Amino acid sequence: MSKVFSEEQRDCLQELINVAMGLASDKLARFLNTFVHLQVPAIELVSSAQIPAEFETRYSSTDSALVSQGFLGNDGLRGEAIVLYQLENAHRIAALLGYETDSISELEMLTDISSILTTTFLNGLATQIDNSLSYSAPRVLSSRQGNVAQALLETAYHWELALKVDISYQLIDHSFNCDMLLLIPGEAVVNIQQILTRILEEY
Amino acid sequence: MSDNWLTGPVLEQLNSGVLVVDEQFQLVYLNCFLQRHGSVQLDEVRGQSLFKVFSDVPEAWLRRKFASVLELQSPSFSSWEQRHYVIKLPHMRPMTSSSQYMAQNCTMLPLSDEAGRRYVCLLIEDATDTFVYQQHLQSTLQKLEHSNRIDGLTQCLNRRYWEEQLKLEVQRALRYQQPLSLLLFDLDKFKQLNDQYGHLGGDSVLIELSARVRALLRDTDWFGRYGGEEFGIVLTNTALQGAVEVAERLCLAVSSLAVTFNECSIQSSISIGVAQLTNTGERAHEVLIGQADVALYNAKRNGRNRVVAFSPGETEFLLKTTD
Amino acid sequence: MTLPVLICDDSLLARKQVRKSLPEFFDADILTAGNGVEALAILRSQEIGLVFLDLTMPELDGIGVLEAIKQEGMDCFVIVISADIQPEMQKRVTELGALAFIHKPVNPEKLVVILKQYGLI
Repeated sequence: MSKVFSEEQRDCLQELINVAMGLASDKLARFLNTFVHLQVPAIELVSSAQIPAEFETRYSSTDSALVSQGFLGNDGLRGEAIVLYQLENAHRIAALLGYETDSISELEMLTDISSILTTTFLNGLATQIDNSLSYSAPRVLSSRQGNVAQALLETAYHWELALKVDISYQLIDHSFNCDMLLLIPGEAVVNIQQILTRILEEY
Repeated sequence: MSDNWLTGPVLEQLNSGVLVVDEQFQLVYLNCFLQRHGSVQLDEVRGQSLFKVFSDVPEAWLRRKFASVLELQSPSFSSWEQRHYVIKLPHMRPMTSSSQYMAQNCTMLPLSDEAGRRYVCLLIEDATDTFVYQQHLQSTLQKLEHSNRIDGLTQCLNRRYWEEQLKLEVQRALRYQQPLSLLLFDLDKFKQLNDQYGHLGGDSVLIELSARVRALLRDTDWFGRYGGEEFGIVLTNTALQGAVEVAERLCLAVSSLAVTFNECSIQSSISIGVAQLTNTGERAHEVLIGQADVALYNAKRNGRNRVVAFSPGETEFLLKTTD
Repeated sequence: MTLPVLICDDSLLARKQVRKSLPEFFDADILTAGNGVEALAILRSQEIGLVFLDLTMPELDGIGVLEAIKQEGMDCFVIVISADIQPEMQKRVTELGALAFIHKPVNPEKLVVILKQYGLI
């Protein structure tokens, strides 16, 4: 099977992701006790070799963080979710989550925020396709002066396809932007295509 | 909770801690691992508050974590690298670890029973081995870094690291407009010493003079071995006059007392060239070395065991060759 | 009596999901539109009894469609089906005249309840 998604499959994936974002935003809104304005996440399939250049410009000039978390589901669904964001942004959402920044290490705060964003979103995706996911502990790949492009290059090397999801959360009085990358290895791409085909056949 | 023939024994034998609390943080289950390590009996603590049974857990932190697990119905994690342990427990290799307590990687998972009641499961993995390896790695890296910076014989900075520091200090001095001076000095007649007392004799003089010089320097000065018997000292926040005074004290400290080697008394002296940073720009540190080197050359030519400060006029021809 | 129904969503999957969620006995003549502009063109050219409307779409979004329907006084029921399920958004579309708000993914049972409630089945 081809590793390129058909137009129908792409549409299907975009819709699943839109709904997953909606579910995640609703959960976050309840949890944070504020309104979350969600924008439709722009999704794009890129080959993993293209990734570092895409993010180098956006994340090289400021203090930024890159956190990775593996996910594993049924039907051969697996991959690695990477959340990229600027640290300045992280401190805003940390304040909302009720972190007292002096009593907690920055690394812990980063992994917590990423894990919340990743798992709420992917759980929303999994529910729609009657799947469920388990997660590995989040790992900070690079933060502050760390070279984001280099860290991504090293990670992306083992993956074939990346689903780039631009996520932008806007909370009342706060805006929080981040990028999420779902890195998916070759055989899992085929499995995802099968899942999408099955869904398309159902309707 | 553990009455199933398969999951029950596995949970009890598991080399990880499994703890379940309800939404009020009351203990519902503890596996054997936690009961043994924590010296508690499930029957005695079931229904009690987690914070009462394990009184030193970080309560506010754990409440927030559990709240996110329950509300978002998604897992939460904690790594020993950020928080050494969540529940203070002894570990099983007390002899070979520098920490008294078990390093823990924790996962918090949402659970529900048939009636829809919600729980949080805390999985605790012993990461003490990783912690120990990480510590060995850190100390090895530290030693490596040290040996990368230090000259083995004299315990001064080696040339590469010293030059890096010189460069940084020059940049800093230029940025904050502070004076900076450089001393370059040379052990006089080193070849003769080696011929007369052997290389070990020469080495012992180098070791002794390094120690005497170091004793007269401030913590903020950078003392490095530049070449065989040549040394450099970066004097931060010091103008030429002050640098010359330091240099004269160093000269005296070396020449006033002989070094004893194999019951021989070895008389030695040093010649010192001094220069103050005046140039700006990318190559300022190289120009400074060149100027101190010219002064050192003049100190040698003028009869050794003396201090010469660089003066621009008389040595212009030499500067050009070092640029 | 066959009811003319318009399903407006930019996603093919979403359009199919709505179509499949409708009860089998629901006698409807179904048209589809991929964005707000297409939807308005259909609404202006023929009688439509019920619109299933997505909110986030290219060209013209669901809010724009609701505004046009209100402004031009078109006589049709609108049920909004959206992934954005914030209460604030629900309030806004209700103010613009939407009959009901259903969140994605569409739950067929809930849809039937709403259709019954408004006497559409």
